[in-house]
Amino acid sequence: MRKQALSGILGVLAAFAIGALLLALQGFNPVATYGALLQYSLFGGSGFTATLTRSVPLILTGLSASIAFASGPVNLGQPGQLVMGALGATLVGLFVHLPSVFLVPLCILASLLGGALWSGLAALLKRAFAMDEFIVTLMLNFIADYFALWVITYPLFDPSASSPMTKPISTAAWLPDMGGVNTGVLFMVLAAVVCWLIMSRGRSGYEWRMTGQNSLFARIGGCKVDANYVRVMLVTGALAGLAGGLMIMGGPHRFVKGLGANYAWDGIMIAVVANSSISGTFLYGLLFSALQQGAIGMELVTAVPSEFIDVLQAVIVLVVVAGRVSLNMVFDWLATRRKLKESVG
Amino acid sequence: MARDVLIDLRHITKVFPPDTVALSDVSVSFEAGEIHALVGENGAGKSTLMKVFYGLERRDAGDIFFRGAKVEFRTPREAIAAGIGMVHQEILLIPEYTVWQNIVLGAEPVRAFGIIDVDKAREAVRQKIEEFQFNLDPDALVGDISVAARQKVEILKLLYRKVSVLVLDEPTAVLTPQEIPQLFAELARLRDKGHTIIFISHRLDEVLTLSDRVTVMRRGKVVGTSTASELTKEDLARQMVGREVLFTSRRQPQEPGEIVFCARGLNCSDTEHRARLHDATVEVRAGEIVGVAGVEGNGQFELVNVIMGLASMTSGTLEVKGKDFTHVDILTRRTLIAFVPQDRGKMGASLVASILEDAIMTHHILDPRFGTWRGLGLDYRHAAEFVDQIRDQFTVSMGHSSDPFRSLSGGNQQKVILGRELLLETPFVLMDQPTRGLDVGSIEYVHQLLLDLRSKKRAVLLVSADLDELFMVADRIVVMCQGEVVANLATDATSREEVGYYMLGGKEAVHAETGS
Amino acid sequence: MNILFGLVSAMLVGATPILLAAIGGTFTFYAGIFNIAMEGMMLVGAFCAVLGSFFLHSWFLGILCAVAGALIMAGIFILFAVRLHTDEFLTGIALNLFAVGLTTFLLRDIFHVKGAFTNAGIRAIPAVKLPLIDGIPFLGRLLSGYNAIVYVALLATVLSAFVIFRTRFGLRLRGAGYNAACLSSSGVPASTIRIWSLIVCAICCGLAGAYLSLGYVRLFAENMSAGRGWISLAAVILVSGNPWGIAVISLLFGFFDGLTVFLQGSRIPTQFTAMIPYVATLVSLYLYSVRKRRQA
Repeated sequence: MRKQALSGILGVLAAFAIGALLLALQGFNPVATYGALLQYSLFGGSGFTATLTRSVPLILTGLSASIAFASGPVNLGQPGQLVMGALGATLVGLFVHLPSVFLVPLCILASLLGGALWSGLAALLKRAFAMDEFIVTLMLNFIADYFALWVITYPLFDPSASSPMTKPISTAAWLPDMGGVNTGVLFMVLAAVVCWLIMSRGRSGYEWRMTGQNSLFARIGGCKVDANYVRVMLVTGALAGLAGGLMIMGGPHRFVKGLGANYAWDGIMIAVVANSSISGTFLYGLLFSALQQGAIGMELVTAVPSEFIDVLQAVIVLVVVAGRVSLNMVFDWLATRRKLKESVG
Repeated sequence: MARDVLIDLRHITKVFPPDTVALSDVSVSFEAGEIHALVGENGAGKSTLMKVFYGLERRDAGDIFFRGAKVEFRTPREAIAAGIGMVHQEILLIPEYTVWQNIVLGAEPVRAFGIIDVDKAREAVRQKIEEFQFNLDPDALVGDISVAARQKVEILKLLYRKVSVLVLDEPTAVLTPQEIPQLFAELARLRDKGHTIIFISHRLDEVLTLSDRVTVMRRGKVVGTSTASELTKEDLARQMVGREVLFTSRRQPQEPGEIVFCARGLNCSDTEHRARLHDATVEVRAGEIVGVAGVEGNGQFELVNVIMGLASMTSGTLEVKGKDFTHVDILTRRTLIAFVPQDRGKMGASLVASILEDAIMTHHILDPRFGTWRGLGLDYRHAAEFVDQIRDQFTVSMGHSSDPFRSLSGGNQQKVILGRELLLETPFVLMDQPTRGLDVGSIEYVHQLLLDLRSKKRAVLLVSADLDELFMVADRIVVMCQGEVVANLATDATSREEVGYYMLGGKEAVHAETGS
Repeated sequence: MNILFGLVSAMLVGATPILLAAIGGTFTFYAGIFNIAMEGMMLVGAFCAVLGSFFLHSWFLGILCAVAGALIMAGIFILFAVRLHTDEFLTGIALNLFAVGLTTFLLRDIFHVKGAFTNAGIRAIPAVKLPLIDGIPFLGRLLSGYNAIVYVALLATVLSAFVIFRTRFGLRLRGAGYNAACLSSSGVPASTIRIWSLIVCAICCGLAGAYLSLGYVRLFAENMSAGRGWISLAAVILVSGNPWGIAVISLLFGFFDGLTVFLQGSRIPTQFTAMIPYVATLVSLYLYSVRKRRQA
């Protein structure tokens, strides 16, 4: 645990250093840039709350990827599952008329189902036809994108809008604000806690993790590996779907073209850098959210294009992942030296 | 006959992080034109010493001298270039390639643009086969030929590169009793032609038969070097272990009880429709240990997989305690069968998981004391107590139960697995090569455990490639060959030679297979 | 008749980037590497091609830049996955994300546009008329006049089959995939072979990327590889790396890609025609698994 934290912190710092180098090469001032980043993400009235709000889809998709990667299935379909979850929430929000106390849970359920449906499709294809879910989920991402585009351009198109989007969903489904922070955050935290409970304290979480580490061992041990596979796919799909639903309900309140664009891939990235740990995903999710939120302000102040954050994030991932391995090698080398002295000296 | 010192290893030290001192100030010298055996129990350091010499591992201290000059082989390539070749315990060949492709790989004769000169390669290989009288077909696929033949390909690979020193790591581990004299004859011929042979083994009879001189290692240190003709087996064993070692069986006579396990007429094919099990029938009674002997690859692995439910059979029946197990799922089987698999890392545990996580597998489903929250949660506190129980009962030397499983030594890992499986308290226990890769102390421990199970009237099916082990603990020995059970012998009424005869399908291995 | 020519032409055009990348992927496949980073290599290749072509006023230099860019990506992959032993899968995913981020960032930073950069100053790779064949009335139209890279792709296919199955390098390459430990102990370090396979793959992906931005169209758009790198990977896995099988599969994908363009004028909504290549990939995965099951 401590090793993970150490390699994480060192890795992030090293990545920031590399980022500073890149900035300097392009003629920007690294200190001013990072300063603006910090200011606009955490301080100043809306910075902190905006960071929290933005972290919702990041952390949820990150949890989805983390659980999947730790348990075996290579679910890279969060982008598509997010879209389908958002569609589900939109459909219910547009056509079902109920008071808030019923409609909000219903929309959330619809988003869970939408995401689970999409990942379940991949799971079905794997179980029935041995089609590798890695490629299937990737292809389904593109298919979901285009499908959603069609839906908001034709059947659900808002005639009063100038670009493809749906009408706004019923206000009863809008998630309220609490002191600037969207209540979506509450749902996200709840989901994160549940995920943590399942993975560290639950029987399913134990079986899933063992299967992810050595599926033959788990199978011989009596775990129902095939049923668990489907369960993991459904749960992780539902998580990504939830991200989509919360985005609709807490954000623009309608399905807009390009919704969720990069969040899901960032979620995957977060799972990778967090080594699929739940708590790591949560923390890195907050970090990346802060970086992305701060980037907008950073661009205003220092004219560094906000896309720089994409590069910085990827560098963080590469460095932390590599650092993890190198740190192990360093520890081993240190241990060798110590043992040598003991035995010979 | 006085010989020159060819290889001189001085003060070699090697540490495996974090804690293992594999070699501690080891100094040995090997003479030209001799067969020199390096002997010790598993974990003594003999393989590590040779790997350090060969360039596969880096040493932490010490020097190596070859032909009087100080050398440092950083990779095996450098060692081979200097004329030294090593044949490893796990045969390292490419089954998808032919014999000649495997032999020339890395030293291929080429024409322009790097195109391989196939004719030249095959001819060169054929020449070498004749020169050393190895009896192989250059065009046979390595995946199709016997294990003994594959070993010859490995040796030939080195001879093709004109090595003068051959290091062989436990070469007899994969051979039947009949195939061993042939290997020894080939090695003696090589020695007579001027080659130097270093022979790593823990099998004392063979060492004394074959070698000129013997060096004994124990726990990473050299105990001594002597001439083979001046030693007895007991001397060697005492040097290896540091105390008297029993070579006789402690198995008390005992009447077996009712039939606990019965497999009848098992038939199983692989993906290419080849028969891997053919009409196999095995029975084990309570209070009985039945050993399964056979050259690896003759259906033992498939038998184990079918019993556990990992592979399906085309026909046959399985019964445990009268219950039909032919088509049940794995979990149901686990209620009555404990299983210690042959490969700890692949089937017996998750190496990256903690000791605790590996210890509670299967118990977490079958034992209600592990569940909380109506079975949704795992009681990790009870799990920790369970690990303590295993540690005490099976004398496991370990740190904290949250340490990674792979931080344990091989023997202790196996003890945890044994503890986990045996505490399931099942009537039938299936063990596949349980002592492979363990040190003598652990091996003795496992054998005692097996005998205890036997006196507690459990039924044990023990698959093992070690005939000594089978003769020590098993009441009966069944022999598998080509997927069939070809013999069912009472241990006290048979001999190693007879078992070996059946392992080869009733054919004497005078002329080696040509790969067909 | 025109429809036939149009379809064949569209087939070859659509197949080329996938074919090129997949041929590169064959080398890494045989070496035992699961190269997810092909998508990122292609994207970086496409970007660098436009960069080189625009600033250096030459499509040839653009191609060189594309290959250089892809090689840098491979270099990063080698540094992390081969030298530092990080997980290939994670490194590949991280690299792809890095590629997307970097190209988008540089698109804004260097060209000051968002979305796509197109400019008359970008020199496209020219089409090539095969000297003798062009004269033949029927065959000429079918076989000649394609973009240079199309021919490069076909040549690469033949060359790769030759190298992989007849040369010393090919024997060692496949050995690295079958049993890396055996190869290393035979005196040829498996990591060296893996590095070479990645270099070859990068060159191929760079060329594929250059084709996307300088041959197919004449612009760079964000994320323009659009999953083709993954489709190539799927193709490699489907045929277990056999170059001829890859050629067939790529033509099939090319066909579907061409169909997409073809159908854009029709009444089917563009969103559904755009799905075609991805659905086609799923269908071929399904057919492959059916075939496997039938064999068993």
